[in-house]
Amino acid sequence: MDELKNIAPKLSKLKKETPFRTPDNYFDDFSARLQIKLEAEKKVVPKQKSVVLRFLKPAIGLAASFAIIFMLVYWPLKTFMPSEVVETEVTIDNADSEFLNIVEGLDESSFFELLEESNGTDDLTDDDLIAYVDANFTSYEIFENIEN
Amino acid sequence: MEKDNRQLIIDLKDENKRDLAFHTLVKEYQERLYWHIRKIVLNHEDADDILQNTFVKAWRSIGNFREESSLYTWLYRIATNESLTFINSNKRKSFVPMNDTSEFLMNNLVSDPYFEGDEIQLKLQEAIVKLPDKQRLVFNMKYFEEMKYEEISEILETSVGALKASYHHAAKKIEEYIKNVE
Repeated sequence: MDELKNIAPKLSKLKKETPFRTPDNYFDDFSARLQIKLEAEKKVVPKQKSVVLRFLKPAIGLAASFAIIFMLVYWPLKTFMPSEVVETEVTIDNADSEFLNIVEGLDESSFFELLEESNGTDDLTDDDLIAYVDANFTSYEIFENIEN
Repeated sequence: MEKDNRQLIIDLKDENKRDLAFHTLVKEYQERLYWHIRKIVLNHEDADDILQNTFVKAWRSIGNFREESSLYTWLYRIATNESLTFINSNKRKSFVPMNDTSEFLMNNLVSDPYFEGDEIQLKLQEAIVKLPDKQRLVFNMKYFEEMKYEEISEILETSVGALKASYHHAAKKIEEYIKNVE
């Protein structure tokens, strides 16, 4: 209390009475009401199961989910998709990796030469750039890039 | 008390004696825990719910009680965490800014039919409600419950030095509030 007299003299003079009260017989009844809750709690406690099964259950569930997704999506697509589309997808993938190989193989000076190379017809206007960005990026992606 | 508690802990861990031992535990600590919770949440109905949840949680984990702290400290800690969780979950539900619980708690206080304080006590509670949660906890435990800093330190897992600083800041803020309001 002495420390309070120095830092908060007005507060130290107030009576330390609690302004809260409880309903009549609250504490007499509390234990009985709690017991009802605990009885319900005891009924909910699951029976002992095999520890191994308890750990495996989530993994089995996950595996089953993947199997179902596979059966419903991938297998029909693979079976019923025209083979040309499948080949085109593969071709596109190959084209991407080929392009990357070319770029990675370039030395620095050749790379910068390519960037600076331009004639009048190849120059992009602002409108061309805006149209390109609009077609290829969402507003959120644009925002993200600006922020970075 | 220490010897009694040791026996109580032994009985609580014994499946055959647990029910009776738990009943003893409830009877021994229900009032102290209730008032501690009530000062945090201010409203009787909420304090009642939280007190029940505290004991249910204790019941669930009594088998794992490690005796690194006393039963009292352990229960106090559960009660404190339950109270803070309650306040935070109600903040989220009512879209109150994360740092501002005072409006929510003041509503709790004025709507409580079991608040019987006079004007000065209401002002004091208003001042306390405006403190940050942790500072409010420390103030209540030191000022109203007159606990030692070492006891508070064990419950809140905060150093004695930090607690003293917290209490001083809280007391000063309350002093300012009381002065300005009169």
